[in-house]
Amino acid sequence: MKAKGKYFTIYSLIIISLSIFIALNLLLGSVLFPVKDIIAAIFGGEAPEYVSNILFSHRIPKAITALLAGAALSVCGLQMQTLFRNPLADPYILGISSGAGLGVAIFVMGFSAFGITLSSSIAANVGTVVAAWLGAFGVTLLILMVSSRLKESISLLIFGIMIASVTGAIISLIQYFSSSAQLKVFVVWTMGSFSGLSPTNIWIMFIVILTGFAMTVFNIKDLNALLLGEAYAKSLGVNLERTRRSILVATTLLAGSVTAFCGPIGFIGIAVPHIARMLFRNADHKVLVPATAILGATIMIIADTISQMPGQPEVLPINTVSALLGVPVILYIIMKSKIS
Amino acid sequence: MAGSRYVNSDNLLVLENLSLGYNKTIYSNINANACAAQTIAVVGANGTGKSTLLRSLCGILPYRSGKIELYGKEIKKYKASQLAQVVSFVPSQSPRAKNFSLFDMLATSCYSRTNWIGKIDRQDSVKIEETLVKVGLEGFGKRDISTLSDGEFQRAAIARSLVQDSHIILLDEPTAFLDIANKITITKLLANIAANEKKTIVFSTHDLQLAIKLCDKIWIMGYNGFIQDTPDRLIEKGAFDKIFKDSSLKFDPNLFTFV
Repeated sequence: MKAKGKYFTIYSLIIISLSIFIALNLLLGSVLFPVKDIIAAIFGGEAPEYVSNILFSHRIPKAITALLAGAALSVCGLQMQTLFRNPLADPYILGISSGAGLGVAIFVMGFSAFGITLSSSIAANVGTVVAAWLGAFGVTLLILMVSSRLKESISLLIFGIMIASVTGAIISLIQYFSSSAQLKVFVVWTMGSFSGLSPTNIWIMFIVILTGFAMTVFNIKDLNALLLGEAYAKSLGVNLERTRRSILVATTLLAGSVTAFCGPIGFIGIAVPHIARMLFRNADHKVLVPATAILGATIMIIADTISQMPGQPEVLPINTVSALLGVPVILYIIMKSKIS
Repeated sequence: MAGSRYVNSDNLLVLENLSLGYNKTIYSNINANACAAQTIAVVGANGTGKSTLLRSLCGILPYRSGKIELYGKEIKKYKASQLAQVVSFVPSQSPRAKNFSLFDMLATSCYSRTNWIGKIDRQDSVKIEETLVKVGLEGFGKRDISTLSDGEFQRAAIARSLVQDSHIILLDEPTAFLDIANKITITKLLANIAANEKKTIVFSTHDLQLAIKLCDKIWIMGYNGFIQDTPDRLIEKGAFDKIFKDSSLKFDPNLFTFV
């Protein structure tokens, strides 16, 4: 019971800081709004039209996207780290993001080879998302097919790295033959961004991520059994094949949709589960899954607030900020725990 | 005796012309059986397939041909959750998660009977506390399993099997990585479980003295064939000389060891 009280304190602290950072995120942008205008706009009071315009059509959708993406990527990383018993596993490492990247590269730059130009921005938007989805899904299928043959978790990770190399090579090849305008579209996508999603896009992302979360919650029991090794898990009655499949499908839904809508965002997926473990000091996934989700959302909203460079007209790519926040944590983990 | 069929419920475990291995045969022609509340040691030279045998018996590894029957039903026909109630496995070494309490680890052992999220009921939580007392880890429930000593962890791993509450407990070299004091503790614990819990215990070991003293029966995976019998009769038959191919190693029936 004492432990529960302790968790309650940590959870409350995270939720309070999450609320503060969401408020800051809405407040701080290229244009700084007065606080009273924002409150008025949200609660239906008198507010200048430009404030409510920017707030409702830009800042709130962007904040929602960031929260969803942060939670989804972190929960994804947590499941992969447990499944592959590797502290550095995440969708990025396993090549799922690379697969999505390849899909987008083929879509954005490859079509010029057939003389098709994508003038309409809606078609381009939907196409990018679908292409990323297909790419992510393709890599997951490949991982699923080999995961029963590759008994060792390490070989699966090497497999992911090889996928990243192959997709990287194909992307370079496509880049070589593409025009500079298309190249720019692709490079901008790889930098990652939470803005520019239509309400429909956000709804789609929300529903898919919610499905992914629901699957994750059903994975909790198996994830806990996997903590003690695959042989032991199997002797407990865990159906390993089914568990693997279920975890990989959940992670594709989560990571695939984030990558499709926001671009490949690295390091958050690895770092956040470790921060959650440090804060909660409990490997039980009943505690870790919700903890990782809200921590991921908090850290992503912080990253997004930094990336919009308050008061400046420029915006930093989200991937730069996530790397600056995530890499120190990862390095600390590597230094601290001797990863053999 | 070997090779005949048993439908008797005393014969919990029956192996018939069993061949081990996945892509190629590792060891073949195993005929053996285990009855309720028996303690059985599996002995054999390194690399003969003791581990593979134990892992095949609990469904972790597939086997090549022949039959493994539990309660007269072939192991392949068991559902994973049913199998977990009949047989449990204690690996010689397990990965130890950090920040995972001993109590939570034992709670995962209730896997086959807990609800979808793995929450244990009052009865199981009492059972876990009782089991901790049985294995001599009373008051260790809140301890982080990564801080347990090797001896303590081995006892915890045995506790997992007791909490899982299977009729058969398989242990892969339970004393291999332990010092002499811990070896004796674990051995006593196993003898205790066999006597008081009415469990069938099958464990692999290199310690013949221990096997002869403790076990009702020994399965020898010899270099030229499989033999099962009681320790006394095996000594009489000189069967232990067939463990190693090297004929200069002779089993001393008085010292219970090789000279």
